[in-house]
Amino acid sequence: MAALALLPAAGEAIYFRDKISWRSAISPSEMVTVEQARGWGDTAIWVDARPDDEFASDHVPGAISLNEDRWNELLPQFLAVWAPGKKIIVYCSSLSCNASREVAHRLRKEAQISDVFVLEGGWEAWLKKNR
Amino acid sequence: MNQIPHVEHRTSNIELPSDVGSLGVWRVLLRILDFVLAGIFIYAGALKAIDPVQFASDIDNYKILPWPVSVALAFYLPWLEIFCALGLVFRFLYRGALSILSASIVVFTLATIAAKVRGLDITCGCFGHASQHWSFPAHLATNLAILVALLTLFFAHAHKRGIRQL
Repeated sequence: MAALALLPAAGEAIYFRDKISWRSAISPSEMVTVEQARGWGDTAIWVDARPDDEFASDHVPGAISLNEDRWNELLPQFLAVWAPGKKIIVYCSSLSCNASREVAHRLRKEAQISDVFVLEGGWEAWLKKNR
Repeated sequence: MNQIPHVEHRTSNIELPSDVGSLGVWRVLLRILDFVLAGIFIYAGALKAIDPVQFASDIDNYKILPWPVSVALAFYLPWLEIFCALGLVFRFLYRGALSILSASIVVFTLATIAAKVRGLDITCGCFGHASQHWSFPAHLATNLAILVALLTLFFAHAHKRGIRQL
């Protein structure tokens, strides 16, 4: 049984070889550092993937809240601000959080937006560089 | 000397009709349970097999395994679930299938508890996005219910084999 399952698994691994990296959860091309993101200036939109209370207490100036808890409610608000050609920088609380990756994944998949990047180190990294 | 066991055997045969009835119902119930569990695991496995990228991310959320292992499991586990579920339906490598499914449920339950204890906000990905907003107690209750059902099948099967060997 365990050996049988290896066959379709191997087939699937070959089929999805371009869609998933074996080295990192986020491919390097989808990550952005605070310095790089800052360099994009007004051509980028900051998206805060943290829960509402954390966003309310503090966030990157001009950031829009878009978390998975209220995805259906917040997505239209985000799309109203977004324009084609703008880069999206998604962040969550720290290096170990997953919310930014999830939100970035859903933006690419559900909203069909390609220029979506995850901020390396998240909110903590932004705080270190800005305060 | 040899007649005594023979008499006992006949006595037990006389009692059989009422037992046969309840045994039949019990067997039907166990078979239904086979199909229900198989349906659950085929559904769960198919959802994950369709989107292994998301499932790899869900495994990685537990922060237990390195990323390459999460990717390998994301490709492998859904198919293992599906094959084991088919094993329940067709009674093919039945005990092995039950053992693997039980072990996987136990491991996922322990991982969920560990993640909760460590304060991680995880989505188990067990049933794709359908289970994304399940609460921790809902996760545990579902896993425990499935585990109890699997163990019931396992011990019923072992019991049946034991009776056959007598």
